[in-house]
Amino acid sequence: MKAILFLLIIFPLAGATLNGLFGRRLPRKIVEIIACAALLCSLLMATAAIINMGGGTFNFVLFQWFQAGDLSVAMDIHYDALAAIMALMVTFVASIIHFYSVSFMRNDTDYVRYFCYLNLFVFSMLVIALADSLVFVYLGWEGVGFCSYALIGFWYGDPVKATAGKKAFIMTRMGDIGFGVAVAVLFAHFGTFSITHINPLAATLSTGSATLLTLLFLFAAVGKSAQLPLTTWLPDAMAGPTPVSALIHAATMVTAGVYLLMRLFPVVQQSPQGMLVIAGVGAVTAFYASLSALAQRDIKRVLAYSTISQVGYMILAVGVGDMVGGMFHLLSHAFFKALLFLCAGCVIQALADEHDIFKMGNLDRHLPGVFWLMLVGALCLSAFPTLGGYFSKDRILLSTFIQPGIAYKVCWALGMSAAFLTALYTFRMFFIAFLKRPDGKKASEMHQIPRFLVIILIPLAIVALCDGLLNLPFGVGKRWLGHFLFSVPGAVVDVRASTDLFLGMGILSASLSLSGIALAWFLYRRPQEAREKGWRAVLFSAFYLDTAYRYWIVQPYRWAATLLWRQIDEKHLDANIEGFGISFNAASLMMRVWSTGRLSTYLKAFLVGLAGLLCLLVGRVTLW
Amino acid sequence: MVPYGHVLILSTILFFMGAGCALARRNLIMILVGVEIMLNAAGIGFVGASLRWGELAGQGFVLFIMAVAASEVAVGLALIIFVRRHTGSMNADKYRLLKG
Repeated sequence: MKAILFLLIIFPLAGATLNGLFGRRLPRKIVEIIACAALLCSLLMATAAIINMGGGTFNFVLFQWFQAGDLSVAMDIHYDALAAIMALMVTFVASIIHFYSVSFMRNDTDYVRYFCYLNLFVFSMLVIALADSLVFVYLGWEGVGFCSYALIGFWYGDPVKATAGKKAFIMTRMGDIGFGVAVAVLFAHFGTFSITHINPLAATLSTGSATLLTLLFLFAAVGKSAQLPLTTWLPDAMAGPTPVSALIHAATMVTAGVYLLMRLFPVVQQSPQGMLVIAGVGAVTAFYASLSALAQRDIKRVLAYSTISQVGYMILAVGVGDMVGGMFHLLSHAFFKALLFLCAGCVIQALADEHDIFKMGNLDRHLPGVFWLMLVGALCLSAFPTLGGYFSKDRILLSTFIQPGIAYKVCWALGMSAAFLTALYTFRMFFIAFLKRPDGKKASEMHQIPRFLVIILIPLAIVALCDGLLNLPFGVGKRWLGHFLFSVPGAVVDVRASTDLFLGMGILSASLSLSGIALAWFLYRRPQEAREKGWRAVLFSAFYLDTAYRYWIVQPYRWAATLLWRQIDEKHLDANIEGFGISFNAASLMMRVWSTGRLSTYLKAFLVGLAGLLCLLVGRVTLW
Repeated sequence: MVPYGHVLILSTILFFMGAGCALARRNLIMILVGVEIMLNAAGIGFVGASLRWGELAGQGFVLFIMAVAASEVAVGLALIIFVRRHTGSMNADKYRLLKG
């Protein structure tokens, strides 16, 4: 088992190292084979591990990392049901995206760097999923942040894209500060970094410190998962290549924040206020982002906002203590969102880098394969009844509803409205981009895309269609995921709700989803070129959040920095130091007269000095 | 037996002659000769002192001084030849590259 888990982590790292060191000297085929084979082996190991685990949890120390006094940090693994599911999902989605990338990046000359970063990303993500020591988790946490930065700005020749990468890095770093402080606080309390040791001791925390820790970890999750108030980096992150958006900014990295909260759920659980804040952040973000998605024109930005919104549901699930629901939604979201992004990638390539959905249209005839796959993804995203997205979202909303207190009811109402909006914006995008219309694209404007790009998506689409079976609320294999995750601390297999409530909630969310799709059909079947005015402009700019940050944070900061630089540093500090240098220079000018460069002068001076010293000795004058 | 005071006077006179030579002349060879004279003046003083007190150490010092002087002359002459080839001049005051 130890060997399997070790190989699971090490294969992507080995792939990245091989390609990073020797990739430029190898033929292109070999580089691609190394990258994909590393992921396939990793997927194989993840499958083997989940088969062999047999309901147990495993703790291994891979090796000691560093040690100083009481502080001892190891590269260690805590493999439980949660980590097993996460590792399997990450390797599966990443494998498909690697294969897709081989085809997608076929005309890019910088493929070595691309595959190296992609493999490195998967390694870091697996570290987050499996690591036991929080310091080791932090290594992975920073690793995914770095790879995300490097891949968003992959086409760094374009300053807009390079800036988007920097923005993502800096904004997620803010959350990382929360993580770092939280780890320090945990160490001060328990004297250990190990999740295995911290979780059973969580009950000994006082409510105050539990709340502090919860809020700090929430802030870390908010940064990584692009929740309010740190949402704005994710839409800009769409500047990266589309497979990167699918892997990092939809399926895996943005769920790392949610995963962290689940991993430390016993700590989070100690603080009811903290839980309420988590639920509030999740619900408000889900609603806010689904509103913003409603007016976007860029197909990838629609999907980016929907990612923010769906991750909001997962955060909400953690906030209401329904870890199984959150994990279920995380899984189904990873599959259908990766599918949607990869389909969008096909569309973008077929239209020669066209992102604007209003300039698409007629794609159902030109790209029939993509049309059907995209339809599957869109139905899953809009929580069409009987699909995975429906069951998972329904379970989260039900768990929210049965929580006591008016605040949770507000969260539930926000979640419900967001569910309706999700169906609306998803099918707005789908109808505008794909349905027949007179001003749409003609067949002559289409570019050929490789068939492989579409074929590789079929397994993903099948999984996205069927992942509802993982945790059906009834029938065969009822609540399989819940039972599987039962051993994880804090997991609740079944939502404690009456059958009436359960059915009512199911019917309500199903009808909301269907009416959203229907409304989209009426509004956007014959789309008008929309102008960004009035409420549309507000939604298009995501409630001017970016502008607000620019005015209230970036501008004052820049102003203060310029003040320090121009006034304090240049006019005072630098001027003083320069004056010091100038006075030395002037003093040395007086001494220069002595330095004639003539040997005889020096000899004379030497002898005079010697004579002077001898005279002093004769006179018994002591100099010191 | 020559009194030690006379030896010291001879040594002092020789030393100042050597110093005068090193200072007054511009020719590098002559400067080197002046330095040699100064060294040997000091040697005479040592030999005289060795005789006066019956100590062998003074003569030993002179041997060391001779060895040092010989090696110094060897290095000095090599430098002079190199400098001469380089600049075509033996005048010490012409070498002013070190002037800041």
